[in-house]
Amino acid sequence: MTLQLAYQTVQQTLLVLSPEILLLAAALVMMTAAPFVRVSRSGWCGASAVALVASLLALLASRDVHPDAYAGSAVNDALSFYVRLFVILTGLVLLGLAHREPPEDRAAEFFGSFLMIQAGAMLVASSNDLILLFVGLELVSIPTYLLLYLSRRTATTQEAATKYFFLSIFASALLLYGLTFLYGLTGTTNLRALSVLTELPYVPHLSLGLLAVVFIMAGLCFRVAAVPLHFYAPDVYQASPVVIAALLSWIPKVVGFVAMIRALTSVLAFKGPQDELVHKTVLLCWIIALATMTLGNAVALLQSDLKRLFAYSSIAHAGYLMVGITAAFAGGSNASGFYYGTEAVLFYLAAYAFMTLGAFGIVLALRKADGHPVATIDELSGLGWSQPVVALGMTLCLLSLSGIPPLVGFFGKLQIFASAFAATTGDDARSLQLLAVLGVLNAAVGAFYYLRIIVLMYFKQPSEPVQVVGGWPVAAATGTCATLSIVTGLYSTPISRACREAAIAANVRPAADGEAASPAVALQTRVEAVSTAPTPTAE
Amino acid sequence: MATLLAVTVFLPLIGALVLVLTPGLDKASSRRIALGASLATFGACLVLLAGFEPAVTTPQFAYGPDAGPYGLSWLSRPDVRFALGLDGLSIWLFVLTGVLMITAVLSSWESISDRAPMYYAFLLALETGLLGLFGALDVVLFYIFFEFTLIPLFFLIGLWGGPERQRASIYFFLYTLAGSLLTLLGVIALVVVHMQYSPDHRLTFSIPELTRGLATLPWPAWYQVDSWTSPQVFIFLLLLAGFAVKVPLFPFHTWLPLAHVEAPTAGSIVLAGVLLKVGSYGLIRFNMAMTPLGAAALFPLLATMAVVGIIYGALAALAQTDMKRLVAYSSVSHMGFIVLGMLAMNDTGMNGSIIQMVNHGLTTGALFACVGVLYDRYHTREMNAIGGIWNRFPLLAFFFVFSSMGAAALPGLNGFVGEFPILVGMFAESWVAASLATIGMILGAFYLLLMIRRVVFGPLVEPGSHDDHEGHGHEEPRPLGWYEIAALAPLAALILYIGLFPEPFFSRIRPAAADIVQIMNLERDANARAIAAKAPIAPEPIEASVSMRTLESR
Repeated sequence: MTLQLAYQTVQQTLLVLSPEILLLAAALVMMTAAPFVRVSRSGWCGASAVALVASLLALLASRDVHPDAYAGSAVNDALSFYVRLFVILTGLVLLGLAHREPPEDRAAEFFGSFLMIQAGAMLVASSNDLILLFVGLELVSIPTYLLLYLSRRTATTQEAATKYFFLSIFASALLLYGLTFLYGLTGTTNLRALSVLTELPYVPHLSLGLLAVVFIMAGLCFRVAAVPLHFYAPDVYQASPVVIAALLSWIPKVVGFVAMIRALTSVLAFKGPQDELVHKTVLLCWIIALATMTLGNAVALLQSDLKRLFAYSSIAHAGYLMVGITAAFAGGSNASGFYYGTEAVLFYLAAYAFMTLGAFGIVLALRKADGHPVATIDELSGLGWSQPVVALGMTLCLLSLSGIPPLVGFFGKLQIFASAFAATTGDDARSLQLLAVLGVLNAAVGAFYYLRIIVLMYFKQPSEPVQVVGGWPVAAATGTCATLSIVTGLYSTPISRACREAAIAANVRPAADGEAASPAVALQTRVEAVSTAPTPTAE
Repeated sequence: MATLLAVTVFLPLIGALVLVLTPGLDKASSRRIALGASLATFGACLVLLAGFEPAVTTPQFAYGPDAGPYGLSWLSRPDVRFALGLDGLSIWLFVLTGVLMITAVLSSWESISDRAPMYYAFLLALETGLLGLFGALDVVLFYIFFEFTLIPLFFLIGLWGGPERQRASIYFFLYTLAGSLLTLLGVIALVVVHMQYSPDHRLTFSIPELTRGLATLPWPAWYQVDSWTSPQVFIFLLLLAGFAVKVPLFPFHTWLPLAHVEAPTAGSIVLAGVLLKVGSYGLIRFNMAMTPLGAAALFPLLATMAVVGIIYGALAALAQTDMKRLVAYSSVSHMGFIVLGMLAMNDTGMNGSIIQMVNHGLTTGALFACVGVLYDRYHTREMNAIGGIWNRFPLLAFFFVFSSMGAAALPGLNGFVGEFPILVGMFAESWVAASLATIGMILGAFYLLLMIRRVVFGPLVEPGSHDDHEGHGHEEPRPLGWYEIAALAPLAALILYIGLFPEPFFSRIRPAAADIVQIMNLERDANARAIAAKAPIAPEPIEASVSMRTLESR
């Protein structure tokens, strides 16, 4: 590597990471300035919103910067761009939900931590390096500990913060252990270089490679709340304020799945499903997916606490997403042109953001007569007649979560299960088809507990009056989510196209000298042959 | 005409939106809006029917060139299209939906006063779902309409139903959803198989294209059905899951009596009249036309399910004292005939099966409407509590007897026109199943006549005339209103008309049925060749001339 190339790469990497750097700078300024200046809570909230918008502009401005894929530690491909774009936009939604959450004196720290989490999530999406990936994941976790305890200093939040802290540290350690194996086997931390190296027949070594995959999976399973590291979710959700529960159900999930795509599916994609290591990884994901969705749905049936219910529902959705990851491993780069596993996962994540943030937003906005927030599903009784608009929004989100067309959740499930069906052919396809069958049966079970809330809202008499609080930011954020649940369901092409581009970009290896792109040949030709619509060519 | 079809499908939804969004609508104005919307939709249906070319087998009124791709691009990738069109299989069900929705609105005229605008809005939204799914030419579009029908019906049963309405609505929703999600997988599997093995690897969601493509798939394994995991059998079973629940085939019928009894009258009319047909329509459209070898391989199982359903439904109906429950079980029995007809896999049976869907919709709709009229007046559906209504409501008694006769397949009325070809077709395939089904026919006449004898004839018995523990004791029941007559008269007229002049109906159905039967035979030939030669050959493409065998046997 020449000095000039090194200089250019660093410069471009910094440019690519400018949105994250901006957010972090804003967070640091806010946290440092807080003791010295007197700014109201809404002032800090506004400042965070400005920082998010500035970061959005920086993201758009750096759209065309592409550092060398084998030297730079950050990439600016379609996956990176769209995920970061989406994280910033949902960040604005979360900010709207959170604008009244922290007490006045700790608002700066609260919003500062929030910006750091955003930056961490974006860093994961743009990382092209094991180390940067890990830094991004930690940048999500560490401020989360703060956030869990900052907003309300009670015994319950203390419990939640402690639980989350210890398990999160444990999971990070597992992940780091797995990443070191990956490094030790190949001698590089660059993910693109890794994916090229894995094309060699014995790289990574089968048993050690499997060890790496298992540990990385374990660490990321904690983030996405998948079995076997799911059990913290209900307790932590229940003990924390609604906003934090909303944040926990969304940010770690997107971070975890994007990290899986970056560090595992993209790396192993070129080996193909015949490879022993990929075969075993598919089996591992198969088991995780089935266990996660079955457990999430089965236990959610028994819940009456709203936050616990949504915690188990988020576990169940992690299970559906794992079906997509399984399909991504099984399909590799040779998957058919119907839906790629990666594409389905990304689409489902977007759909999940709309419906789950919308549902949490509505729960957040509802207060009982004594000023306490609603906690159990029975307190939503009769909401359909006392607060028709709010109940309609909730109904849209719940029907979308249960996957009823024409809402966006249906298209998410369609893509996930279609990707499982289309991933491979022949005997390999049997197990994935079975997984899809078990998945839809799970979805049918899952529909019950969402339906139960709808039944309570419309078919029961109100138990006690519930009022809507939160002001326009909550209303705007929630309304946006509920509206998007139906609008993107009726017309999902833009999101679908973005996910497609991102999925292709994730599985593409640019030519080493950085000029004329030679993308994954097999993949690209199949795409051209199969789909009638023009497909975007990756750089 | 293509635009008219799309407008027809969405006209009821526009009516529903008007009902929901206009503030302060009362019962009188909302029911007038609903009637107006359903009449306008029916008028549009009639225009479409008038413009329908009987001999054409490709979908009509569709956007785009005759050979496809039909419709407008909706989601650009994968290419899901907004494609609507009608063929001989769907045209009559489309019109039937239009007819029955008017009956549904009229039969709720007085009985629904609670939250009337929302009630009619849900009813109209349901109509859009049903029209859309009969018209859909794209599998994803079909599925969207298919599942969308659940939501309005869920609220109709849950909010305006009987005392057990909540349980009934949840049970109905979840049972149907579980089945239809498996159907979704079956549909996905069809698309994937077509994409992976068709010569040009085309990814298509178009129903006509899939039907053609799958019939001539150059993939030897597609024509082998020797195990449960053979592609056609596996996909057939996935598809069957949802449609069998909808039909309902025994033993998946358990949601039906509960949902029917608890639903409001209009809900029952639409549920029995049209929604059950969604199941049998799906069976023909997907199971029979796209995986016929699966149907052939599973024939013993399916025929057993249908025959057991026929006899069990009839016996269960015989044991009921609640009139609505009786009609509900009779639906289980009659839907068994429809499935049996398509299983015969010949022109005669398929024609009978398709016309019988329309017939059953008309007779059962009329029966439920009659029961609803009685329930409005006496607040009971017990046959023991009501008797001799001939003396009180001669006109209602006439409609009651007339539609019962239609359902019991009296020659000259519509039931006979459908059930006779079904049995004839089935005798050619399996005389055992046909003979057993005939027993079901006899039982059908038995329980319907029993109900007529108890309710219509004999001395006048009215609830409250001998015990007045209920508030409305000796109050004189009001006579039949114009709206009730208007709800029943068209149905009775159609029952008679189809019975006497079935040819206009058959002439539109026959080419479509022949088309499907031809595909079945083609694949069966391919299967036979595969078995005979062990080195299977791809079947020849479908020839343009379709078999136009008519029902001479009738």
